[in-house]
Amino acid sequence: MDRRTLLKAIAGAGSLAATGGLSMPALSQGAAARTLRFVPQANLANFDPVWGTQYVVRNAAAMVWDTLYGLDATLQPQRQMVESEEVTDDGLTWTFRLRPGLKFHDGEPVLAKDVVASLARWSVRDPMGQMIKAIQNELTAVDDKTFKWVLKQPYPKMMLALGKNSTPCAFIMPERMAQTDPFKQITEYVGSGPMKFAKGEWVPGAKAVFEKFSDYVPRQEKASWLAGGKQMLIDRVEWVVIPDPATAAAALQNGEIDWWENPIPDLVPVLRKNRNISVDIADPLGNIGAFRMNHLHPPFNDVKARRAVLTALSQEDYMRALVGDDNALWKPLPGFFTPDTPLYTEEGGEILKGKRDVAAAKKLLAESGYTNQPVTCVVAQDQPITKAQGDVTADLLKKIGMNVDFVATDWGTVGSRRAQKTPPGQGGWQMFHTWHAGADCISPAAYNAIRGNGDKAWFGWPTSETVEKEVTAWFDAKNIDEEKAAVKRLNKAALEDVIYAPTGFFLSYTAWRKNVSGVTKGPLPFFWGVSKTA
Amino acid sequence: MTVSTTNTVPVPPGLVIAPQLPDLLAAVEIRRGVLGFLRNHPVVAIGGALLLCLVLIGIFAPYLGTVDPTALAPAKRTRAPSADFWFGTDALGRDIYSRVLYGARVSLTVGLSVALLASLAGLAIGLVAGFVRWADGILMRFMDGLMSIPPILLAVALMALTRGSVGNVILAITVAEVPRVTRLVRSVVLSLREQPYVDAAIASGTRTPMIILRHILPNTLAPMLVQATYICASAMIVESILSFIGAGTPPTIPSWGNIMAEGRALWQVKPYIVFFPAVFLSVTVLAVNLLGDGLRDALDPRMAKSL
Amino acid sequence: MVSYIFRRILSTMPVMAIVALFVFSLLYIAPGDPAAVIAGDQASPADVERIRQALGLDRPFLVQFGDWVWRILHGDLGTSIFTNLPVSSLIAQRLEPTLSLMAITLVLTILVAVPLGVVAAWKAGSLVDRTIMAFAVFGFSLPVFVVGYILAYLFALQFDWLPVQGYTPLAEGLWPWLEHLILPALALGCVYIALIARITRAAMLEVLQQDYVRTARAKGLGQGSILFVHALKNAAVPIVTVIGIGIALLIGGAVVTESVFAIPGLGRLTIDAILRRDYPVIQGIVLLFSFLYVLVNLMVDVTYTLVDPRIRY
Repeated sequence: MDRRTLLKAIAGAGSLAATGGLSMPALSQGAAARTLRFVPQANLANFDPVWGTQYVVRNAAAMVWDTLYGLDATLQPQRQMVESEEVTDDGLTWTFRLRPGLKFHDGEPVLAKDVVASLARWSVRDPMGQMIKAIQNELTAVDDKTFKWVLKQPYPKMMLALGKNSTPCAFIMPERMAQTDPFKQITEYVGSGPMKFAKGEWVPGAKAVFEKFSDYVPRQEKASWLAGGKQMLIDRVEWVVIPDPATAAAALQNGEIDWWENPIPDLVPVLRKNRNISVDIADPLGNIGAFRMNHLHPPFNDVKARRAVLTALSQEDYMRALVGDDNALWKPLPGFFTPDTPLYTEEGGEILKGKRDVAAAKKLLAESGYTNQPVTCVVAQDQPITKAQGDVTADLLKKIGMNVDFVATDWGTVGSRRAQKTPPGQGGWQMFHTWHAGADCISPAAYNAIRGNGDKAWFGWPTSETVEKEVTAWFDAKNIDEEKAAVKRLNKAALEDVIYAPTGFFLSYTAWRKNVSGVTKGPLPFFWGVSKTA
Repeated sequence: MTVSTTNTVPVPPGLVIAPQLPDLLAAVEIRRGVLGFLRNHPVVAIGGALLLCLVLIGIFAPYLGTVDPTALAPAKRTRAPSADFWFGTDALGRDIYSRVLYGARVSLTVGLSVALLASLAGLAIGLVAGFVRWADGILMRFMDGLMSIPPILLAVALMALTRGSVGNVILAITVAEVPRVTRLVRSVVLSLREQPYVDAAIASGTRTPMIILRHILPNTLAPMLVQATYICASAMIVESILSFIGAGTPPTIPSWGNIMAEGRALWQVKPYIVFFPAVFLSVTVLAVNLLGDGLRDALDPRMAKSL
Repeated sequence: MVSYIFRRILSTMPVMAIVALFVFSLLYIAPGDPAAVIAGDQASPADVERIRQALGLDRPFLVQFGDWVWRILHGDLGTSIFTNLPVSSLIAQRLEPTLSLMAITLVLTILVAVPLGVVAAWKAGSLVDRTIMAFAVFGFSLPVFVVGYILAYLFALQFDWLPVQGYTPLAEGLWPWLEHLILPALALGCVYIALIARITRAAMLEVLQQDYVRTARAKGLGQGSILFVHALKNAAVPIVTVIGIGIALLIGGAVVTESVFAIPGLGRLTIDAILRRDYPVIQGIVLLFSFLYVLVNLMVDVTYTLVDPRIRY
């Protein structure tokens, strides 16, 4: 028996006597084996996955609500709640049939009207949903188990839209909840998935508890990401928010938590040395680091200035700043699409490859007519990824002779400042940093950040006719070869016009104690199939 | 004092002149001036000397073997102390030795500015509050209100309104420290106000500003000076806490606080990132506290129980 | 005296009103509101605007402020923008951990600091005295988080005597509650211990030179009895005063301690709310703090009069 337990036993006996047996006994060994304590990547501040689109909300929601389709490890949408689907030859009418046995957590069966209401709410907020809604004729329930979506034009990516894992996902909620305004939050959390959300035990910012829903009927197929049978092998999942990474590392080593979603790379060697801990890559789709320049105002309204920055940009510097000395955790990225995915391409990426040429960058900058005006670079200090990138950028800009106006602030401010189209002197900006989940960059489908439609584009408002043409070409492509060709041309154009600057591709680890098994790689942590021995 | 044995005055009969006694006590050397003061109170001397050293280090940082503290070299990140990098490198490959030495400037500036500003503001408000009865209530309630605004809120708001900077940090911490000084000054004034000589001054018709200037102010200066040193020390620590939550000085301006904050996640594996600024910070705070203690003991040992 | 207390309590209202107005204005002016964070990265400006309207953030300043004040007067602290839970229940959830931490810190501090100060005063000038005072000064030379890390590393990881992080409510057992609070209380208390030890020593020194102590000694009373029964009682006054002032220090340090040791307390709630711009939560907490501070300061001021008859209001 180790010292902690001995001390506990003595003290426990003492306090038991003192308080006359009022204290509850600690969790028995058996109960402990069925509780999984998990440290999420961020604080679960709210729990409406359509209203609030942060990744951590989606990760939690994936346990509580089910989807019609689910992306599997081969990036193909597979049926989940749907038993069968039919699409007419002209591609305009989609009819779906739900599989039997689906129940909500309050015992009510999942009916087509619930699905219709959920999809209506989702399609207001989701980019692909908005595309479908724009060409929609009607979305109705045919009977209790069947619903159909009638369109004005074909939309071949329908199943992808309904099963994708990028936020917001098309989660199916009870009709009364789904009728909430999509710009307001839901107030109850009755779900359709394998775990129930214990609202009474929720301490926002500190702890969230999920309990097994015993009436959930999983599919027969093997689980693969969001597809297949979601078998819950543990009764209870506790999400414990530990804001300090050193503390989280210590807690994992101590056995106070079982699974840490993303340990920082510098602490991984310590975790690896520990006999009781396993470490592996969390998500093979990784992340793409980025910074965006403002195309509306000088100096970056001139493509030469933007290309000057790319010419001197060293992706190795950025990636080392983010992931440290571990070479397994990063790859150079001469393009905008996730490595090791079907549409990955390096077309047009020469500007980011090879030895960095500061002299050429300075020359390009001079040609663009840069006259030493200050470049306002807004950097969020409370997000480690943007903070590290910001430091490297300041150094990069100084190297090519730009006058950097480094504004250290917080993510909330960056969020609202980047939406300002005013000139930098009047509250605008010229550069900000961000990153994208690799899962969102595998195709132009939900990839807002690659678009070049000027005023309607993402912050920075790049304009590129070629990029827009190729995005449309991709949506219209009839087979994978056409898709690849379109994406190649898109990549090249995006680099020529510098829609944004990719700083590299990076991965992160996940770490868990050896008495936990079933942890799989994926774009989010999956809790089905995970079990724990005492 | 020796007595001359040669008679210059006729001794009346019946009187005896005492014999010269040996000196039992050693001659007391009366030390005057600043140097004398310092030799009398070695604690002040030590504290002051240490502080002076650190200030000099900050001022002469560029000449002490440092490189550009913001020069990145991510390929050489988190290297242990070596001949090239005396204190090692941080998570972005910057030289910690240079950052620590340049950081002295920022931390000392923050400490000294906050001490000065908070003292002046607190002195002014505290004097008025302690002496002018009808203003006392309003001012102290205002101070209560000020104390209830979390300094973090102020720091983040300031940072969001403008940007992270040394000035905003100083402002945020000063606002948080002013109530403390005010309370101190006010309590001193309150007890002094009841002293007989103050009563006498009032009775003889001296006007209030004169009373404050002549009688109250000199007596508050000593505890204020001591309190100022404590505020200086506390401000440097608070600066590191603000850096901890990300509302401190921007990373392009190194301070001991933000070097520690950036390196804190790694301290189990690369303890030197936190170690060196922590050592400098604690030595500085120690020096300032010694200075404060020494001054307090030197100026009025009775102050000890109110500080 | 009674009228003074009554007037003070009455005057808390305008204080809290001014503080509330100040904080409200500060939040209003500061750029960055929750709408952008909520809308997420993919949202269009139109979406962000819709959310802002749904939250009522686009209304003029006075309307928003007036609405909030009206609700406060009806006892409704509002609803958190993010979690959609009532602010009062969020605060209530976090109150126990923070109060527990502060209580344990206070108890620990007094138990450690006062005897240290007494011993230092008793052996004034000796090596023991200098060592104790050196430790005391060292206590507030290090930031709280550095002390916290060191303590956690030593006692939790290396020796495995205590847990690294977390909080267990008192209802789930006395020892679990205590064991999670010992390290954080020690880390937080370092500063406090230093302060109180110094004050104790100084106050005791003064008292030990008094005539009545000499009398007690002449009477033949034991050293312990003299120190703790006679001297300390008279020296207690400034010590108590410092304790009152130091509560402010505690709240500041609690924020960091709660982050390092993952304690779900008010400090962390404040930071999270501020960084997310969860306005109702921030305003609710500031209101609570201002009320607490006013109360604490009132008690300290009343103690002044009890202690020093020369001070009159």
